[in-house]
Amino acid sequence: MSLNFLLPRLMPGDPVVNILGEEASYAPTEVLEELKAEWGLDGPLYVQYFRYLGNYLSGDWGHSFLSMRPVSEAIGLHLRWTLALVLPAIILGALLATIAGALAAWYRKSKLDVGFSAAFLSFYSMPHYWLAMVLLFVFGFLLGWFPLGKVTTGDTSGLAYVADVAWHMVLPLSLLTVSKAAYDFLVVRNSVISICGEDYVLMAQAKGLSQMAVLFKHAVRNALAPLVTVTAIQFGAILSGTLMVEIVFSWPGMGTMIYEAIGARDYPVLQGAFFIIAVCMLAANFIADVIYVWLDPRTR
Amino acid sequence: MKGNKARWAGVAILSLFIICAVLAPWIAPHDPWEFGPAFLHPSTTNLLGTNDVGQDIFSELLYGARISLLVGFAAALISVSLGTMIGLVAGFRKGIIDDLLMGVTDVFLVMPMLPLAILVSVYLGPSIWNLILVIGLLWWPSTARVIRSQVLIIRESGYVESARALGAGDLWIMRRHVLPNVLPLLMAKFVLTVAVAMLMEASLSFLGLGDPIAKSWGIMLRYAFLRGGFVGGMWWWYVPPGLAIGLCISSLTLISLSVEEKSDPRLKRVLER
Repeated sequence: MSLNFLLPRLMPGDPVVNILGEEASYAPTEVLEELKAEWGLDGPLYVQYFRYLGNYLSGDWGHSFLSMRPVSEAIGLHLRWTLALVLPAIILGALLATIAGALAAWYRKSKLDVGFSAAFLSFYSMPHYWLAMVLLFVFGFLLGWFPLGKVTTGDTSGLAYVADVAWHMVLPLSLLTVSKAAYDFLVVRNSVISICGEDYVLMAQAKGLSQMAVLFKHAVRNALAPLVTVTAIQFGAILSGTLMVEIVFSWPGMGTMIYEAIGARDYPVLQGAFFIIAVCMLAANFIADVIYVWLDPRTR
Repeated sequence: MKGNKARWAGVAILSLFIICAVLAPWIAPHDPWEFGPAFLHPSTTNLLGTNDVGQDIFSELLYGARISLLVGFAAALISVSLGTMIGLVAGFRKGIIDDLLMGVTDVFLVMPMLPLAILVSVYLGPSIWNLILVIGLLWWPSTARVIRSQVLIIRESGYVESARALGAGDLWIMRRHVLPNVLPLLMAKFVLTVAVAMLMEASLSFLGLGDPIAKSWGIMLRYAFLRGGFVGGMWWWYVPPGLAIGLCISSLTLISLSVEEKSDPRLKRVLER
């Protein structure tokens, strides 16, 4: 947040001129002074800083240059659509990675293991937005199974609206789910492998439980803690991937908002977006800590 | 992972791209900045057709390897050297300096990197050098953490203690004992950072934060998306740059995994078990 304050002030030259660009040379001096006062750029630096902090904490994040609406309003509007993609993607992705990783660990060095590893590794290596383009081309343009973007087709309400949104979500959500799983796969696999040699797993096998019961009831359960930690660490990467994918699918979330703000050099929106994403990251870390304690009673 | 085979596959693919980048002016069939008939389909004269202003896409792809690899390697060099220095000093000096440096590192670690990079790049303006600087200066924290934890282990080891007893200075111990020990880890980290930096370049360029007239794979994807290549179904325009990025990143990841495996035998056992 303080970085947000510092950045425009660290840039060489007058921040107002920097923000206005060429147009500054046409504006009369009084207008420039007025703008400075409006953007809180007058007075000594420390006064500016505390005023800035106060404004941010009280929810006044300035106005968008582009739409002239308050930044907090624009973010509130877009954030929910981003979360609508990120949260299900994290949960479904973790689920997919757990199943695939556990199976790969159990049948290690088999064709299944090698196949999963190669598939997730190559998925991990592609830029998400490019995969989105390819997916959209194949399933949207060529096959016509799914819509080409946006969240709805228009005038629907009630259940039809929900169904419509879900239909629009299929492509971006499955893409993000698999990419989240690609991050997690190796973690689950290695963690299950290291647990398979433990006594209680042998014990469970000795009791005559079926292979899958041993794997999913005893081994996987104990392998989940590292997954939670990794999810917290990777949260920023998942979120960033979502932002990029949104642009391709014209999904009205934070990514599309940031994309438009970059084009228009809309600094207040970009700063607000960065601030709220940083808050989301902190929240994710906190939630991960809580879940970790719940999963692993030894840390209580 | 089948260590050796995977590593050589990675090295082979990466070398191919480096050769393309170095030899681009000689092997490219056209000048990628030369205008001509636009939106041509692939043919024998234009292997991958032409873009919206008639530039040959295959030549763009070859030249793109230069910028994409340059940004990747230069940014990784900056970030790994910075991270190494910070990690070494923090691990060696302990106390207040350590607390301070690690405090800053942790703040950077929980920050969302892509949005931060976007914010800084928007202020700096679009250019290749700014891209390198931004990526290089933002990606050091994980290297610093890893190096610090290694230094903490090494500094307590018997041979460092005996060197100290013999009157060796900090700098000498760092150069003689600590650096050689963290070197394999540094290599793995460097290769992985190149991959991250290349992906980041692709994302930032796609968002319009790279040099608009330079040729990089990210910028090719941006124009294909923006100027009708994507909507028009011209897959030969946007599929090759994406594949090139993916292949480069895969090969870098393979190399990094096998280097890491070599430096840490315990990891090898886990991966092979």
